[in-house]
Amino acid sequence: MKTFAELNFPGRLIAVEGLDGSGKSTQIYLLKRWLEAEGIKVYFSEWNSSELVKSATSKGKKRELLTPTTFSLIHATDFGDRYERHLLPLLRAGYIVLCDRYAFTAFARDVVRGCPPEWVRGIYNFAALPDITFFFKTDLEVSLNRILEGRPKLKFFEAGMDLRLSADPYESFRIFQGRILEQYVAMSDEFKFLVMDANQNVEKQQCIVRKLVGEKIELRKFRRRSPLPLPPAFQPAEAKAPEHDEDLAAV
Amino acid sequence: MSISPEQKNGFRRFYGHGIPRVKIEELAGKLIVVEGADGSGRSTQIARLVDWLETGGHPTVQVGLKRSTLVSKELELAQKGNILSRTTLSLFYATDFADQLENIILPALKAGFIVLADRYIYTLMARDMVRGMDEGWLKNVYGIAVKPDAVFYLSVQPQELVQRNLAKNATLDYWESGMDLGLSRAMFDSFVKYQTAMQGAFRKLQKTYGFTIIDGNRPVGSITKDLRKKIRVVLAEKQTS
Repeated sequence: MKTFAELNFPGRLIAVEGLDGSGKSTQIYLLKRWLEAEGIKVYFSEWNSSELVKSATSKGKKRELLTPTTFSLIHATDFGDRYERHLLPLLRAGYIVLCDRYAFTAFARDVVRGCPPEWVRGIYNFAALPDITFFFKTDLEVSLNRILEGRPKLKFFEAGMDLRLSADPYESFRIFQGRILEQYVAMSDEFKFLVMDANQNVEKQQCIVRKLVGEKIELRKFRRRSPLPLPPAFQPAEAKAPEHDEDLAAV
Repeated sequence: MSISPEQKNGFRRFYGHGIPRVKIEELAGKLIVVEGADGSGRSTQIARLVDWLETGGHPTVQVGLKRSTLVSKELELAQKGNILSRTTLSLFYATDFADQLENIILPALKAGFIVLADRYIYTLMARDMVRGMDEGWLKNVYGIAVKPDAVFYLSVQPQELVQRNLAKNATLDYWESGMDLGLSRAMFDSFVKYQTAMQGAFRKLQKTYGFTIIDGNRPVGSITKDLRKKIRVVLAEKQTS
């Protein structure tokens, strides 16, 4: 597997991973705000958000129809849709794409659910690796406390109740998250995660995130040519879209 | 590799790792697959087989493509739009298949039913191969599938298929014509080209999966007779060791 940079894509992909309650979504949101303010072409994509697939996934979750296998496949379908319709074209167009969770979430969760690791990884091998992956690593208790503080009603799959780890959703959630954390830690070296100490305060983490992004990606290359896109009617005639070949699938 | 129970058994096995926590040796029923393009006579033959089997006292269950509780509606909807990319299409169908496998096929086999599948993983793989997907990738995805007791591929010439489809619907289906591939702007030409490519993919898969090719150009009755004869042999085979 290669990164988008290694595959000579003009764009770059940054992913964040971590447990629920690790603060990764806050961090990537703040990163997005900064990049936008810098006039950079940026796009944000969230796990499990494809408009084609999402309704099936939520039905499957609500009605508890999902098994480890279908849970894995339906999330892969969702990822596939976002990957081919949004991520790839945007990366071709030189965007910085920010992903709240990437294939590693599947590598961790689906394996904890009992799917063979080779099978899960095989399914996602159509996807290139992110250019940067931040892993927001918290102590298990810290992320559990952040989620469980208000004693929210945990959803069935979110709590890993399908694994029958415990009849108590909170206990089940603890065990489930603990196992996912183990998987993330085990993957850290292999996929060169930038491991963030997510126990420290939000601003401090964001400073580090921005610094690392700035070091690893030459951001000025990803600026919009003009601060705001011109409305189509006022675009000069010579700004014609370049011709390109749609590759036909080999038959 | 050590000898697993299914290898001792002789025929019942998964193509790959299968489904976590399913005991393969408990799957006592029979899985019979009928493959073939739209207009190959697949549905007609399956209906006749169900009649014959049930009259003979065998409990049957039917499965097919895009019939899962989980995603059939969403998949149908996605196919109506023009935004379905090939990986998404492929994984959507894989999800649909897995849902039926776990909720219908495996429980029915466990209960000793005869499961008749109106198409199986082979059509899904052939479609994806024609769209340039990697065969190894597909084999990994469908490593979840249980190996059927018999697979019959109803082979009909594309020129004949086009006639049958038009006679039945007066139009050709967008996806069955492979219109997403841009083989031709003309639906008629695209259909023939696509179905020819599909047959090529099936020939390739036949080498790996060894299914029985049935000449579907013959009259309905003689195909049924042929299928019954072959299925009788399958039913006579002892399942468990």
